[in-house]
Amino acid sequence: MAQPVTVLHFSGHQYLRHRLVLSILSGKPVKIDKIRPDDKNPGLRDYEVSLLRLLERVTNGTVIEISVTGTALLVKPGIIAGGTVVHECPLSRSIGYFLEPIVMLAPFSKKPLQLTLRGITSDDRDLSADLIRTVTLPHLQLFGISEGLELRIKKRGAAPLGGGEVQFLCPVVKQVKTLNFVDRGRIKRIRGIAHAVRVSPQFSNRMIEAARSVLNRYIPDIYLYSDVYKGEDSGKSPGYALSLLAESTTGAMHSAEAVSVPGGAPEDVALTASRALLSEIRRGGCVDKQHQVLVLLMMVLGSEDVGRCLMGEPTLRTIQFLRDVHQTFGTSFKIVPADKSDPESTELLFSCYGTGYVNANRTLA
Amino acid sequence: AATAYEEHGRKRRKDWIKLIYSSSLTPEQILQGDAPGQEQQGGDEDDFFTVKSKGTVGDAEEVLDMTKEKVDAEALKAWEDEELLDSIRNLFITGGSGSGDAE
Repeated sequence: MAQPVTVLHFSGHQYLRHRLVLSILSGKPVKIDKIRPDDKNPGLRDYEVSLLRLLERVTNGTVIEISVTGTALLVKPGIIAGGTVVHECPLSRSIGYFLEPIVMLAPFSKKPLQLTLRGITSDDRDLSADLIRTVTLPHLQLFGISEGLELRIKKRGAAPLGGGEVQFLCPVVKQVKTLNFVDRGRIKRIRGIAHAVRVSPQFSNRMIEAARSVLNRYIPDIYLYSDVYKGEDSGKSPGYALSLLAESTTGAMHSAEAVSVPGGAPEDVALTASRALLSEIRRGGCVDKQHQVLVLLMMVLGSEDVGRCLMGEPTLRTIQFLRDVHQTFGTSFKIVPADKSDPESTELLFSCYGTGYVNANRTLA
Repeated sequence: AATAYEEHGRKRRKDWIKLIYSSSLTPEQILQGDAPGQEQQGGDEDDFFTVKSKGTVGDAEEVLDMTKEKVDAEALKAWEDEELLDSIRNLFITGGSGSGDAE
């Protein structure tokens, strides 16, 4: 700890989550300024402050300084402590907003994390609790994080009033494995979860039927589950959603989902979700675009060996993330077209040399 | 028919490494496919006062830090087209077309 501390410096309110994650993982303080300086309502939003509070609770010794105007922020990260944490998420964002960065941090905590989050379980901005359970967590398994990894959806909560509750259990690892995932295989099955709370349970079935009308042409192995929550467990607002997951012969997963809009029809939700899934599949790669950041992060943290992964084109978030990773860990990825002979192919092969990140918090225990 | 997707496909190959690590283009510009040389120089600082860039002073929708991208209803409409639907058949195990491996 004798070397001078380098402070990461970022601007703007965007990409706040992965920047905080990088700061905490690397132990480097992060300074973020120009947070909505020209906005009518400048500074941090309630959900961003809430996220900072959550990170403060999951860690130990983190110092957070917010400027008077709220437009600048300094975080000096402590260690990731884990343990039992309960957090109320504000209704301005869904649980996914908070859970996604936590999923990236939790495996490296001192004690296994048991996090209870209350709020909205699915919305159209962040991954729903369903997708995190069925898609995000299996992605961690690729890196050797599996035993005891679980997300329980205890109660569902649709926007705007929420009322949902999930419990996230995450084991502690010493180091993550190097990924070598370059064969996307072919889609062998499609799974889905339809749920409808505080509306007619028939809506689930209507969504399932409409989704099948699109997907059945490809493959017979489609199982869409209608998840029923009743009474107290169904939250405070009406709503319904469909999340879909396509799995390939090599275990590559592509996911998509859609949630209800007021006045919309369940068929439209199902069609949107199904077509978004097809678009995802068409993008190719072994990882869908919503999980690029998670997988790339774990590749950076992997043991000191070359990790490789086939992906579709990077998203905006991914591009910024790659730059921020470069600034934080000094790791840059090699990105080459996966199939040089086919100019139509947009698949890319991402490879990097892992930093050999060791969970130092754990060895203290 | 599937204009959105065709456009996607015919984009010339990008040098992603260069675009990401050694250009100052914003992620948006990279994805929209601006050529690297074309960065506005931000040069001529002749006028002392510059108009603050558009900003989000109005009620314009803010760009949120969110994982899911906005669903582009138009792009999804493309999937009403049978040809496009059939074009990805080979990505499924049931899709025949020989060549066992991807594509």
